[in-house]
Amino acid sequence: MARGKKKAGEINSSSMADIAFLLLIFFLVTTTMDVDTGMKRTLPKWVDTTEQQNDVDVNERNVLKVNVSKSGMIMVGTDEYVPNDLRRNGRHSRLSQEVYNFLTLPDRSAKKATEIDGMNYDISEGLVSLKADDETKYKIYLQVQDELTHAFNLYRDDISLKVYGKKYGELEDIQANNIRKAVPMRISEAEPNDQTKK
Amino acid sequence: MAVMAKKGKKEVPALSTSSLPDIIFMLLFFFMAATTMRETDPLVTVAMPEAHEITELDKKNLVNVWMGKPLSAKGQEGDALMIQLNDQTGDVADIQNFVAASAVTKKMDVQSLTVNLRVDEGATVGKLTAVKQELRKADALSISYAARAVENN
Repeated sequence: MARGKKKAGEINSSSMADIAFLLLIFFLVTTTMDVDTGMKRTLPKWVDTTEQQNDVDVNERNVLKVNVSKSGMIMVGTDEYVPNDLRRNGRHSRLSQEVYNFLTLPDRSAKKATEIDGMNYDISEGLVSLKADDETKYKIYLQVQDELTHAFNLYRDDISLKVYGKKYGELEDIQANNIRKAVPMRISEAEPNDQTKK
Repeated sequence: MAVMAKKGKKEVPALSTSSLPDIIFMLLFFFMAATTMRETDPLVTVAMPEAHEITELDKKNLVNVWMGKPLSAKGQEGDALMIQLNDQTGDVADIQNFVAASAVTKKMDVQSLTVNLRVDEGATVGKLTAVKQELRKADALSISYAARAVENN
């Protein structure tokens, strides 16, 4: 008779899928997939108020002042208002055009020979000084920052095309690093006490 | 004969589901590897501003500072902006300690941290400047303005 060699019954594995599903759904609910995105900036080092008076001397010619008023009016330079038009359908805004011109045109900002990958290139020493009223909305402030970044990225594209024949965004890490070092994003965010003195 | 009788009503064999758990496990492991646990419960709501020129941030050295409207369930309601550091609300004055503490828990220098400022688009620049000044005092100079990509370019 077969009674002697009776086999142990197999474990029913049909519920395995259900268990795995349950775990899957648990992880789907408790986790986030989103990547953090943002605009990177570097703040200037903190200095005591006594030392703050003697700031680093930057040639006035190499500074482009961008002022944002309480209501969101944007002024470039000393007396020129630019419309607060946003970049739409791939068109550049007036603000980023102004900044780009400031960086590229020979009579606007001084150029300095900078070595990139063994060759010398003339790179603008232009600095954008951004000032915003304390009451300015952050949304507008960030839009302005966005346009400034865009202008610098356009400039980096130019340099990158000259050096590597490719746009900045298409470069490999090391090359992109070289460009980043040679063309730093010179955007200065004004100190709050600067706003009191006119 | 029994064998002969079966031949007549030949049936399609049932679809084998024995590999279903494996498939599901594979999915499970994918999600486990590709995602991170939600670390903190939001105490404030932040309407994230939009921007074009944004980059992906490395989560490893990221410290989040929220600034937004308090959620109605927790604490006071109103338009006043609240700052959230990790899982508790704080004040501008707490930022220095918070950054130092985060650097210790992440086993990193303060300088190599990136402070991600998740600021509500309705906040004012004055508030933001106050936070930035504290970060400068704390020597956390690498910051990022959190923003999401513009959807319709």
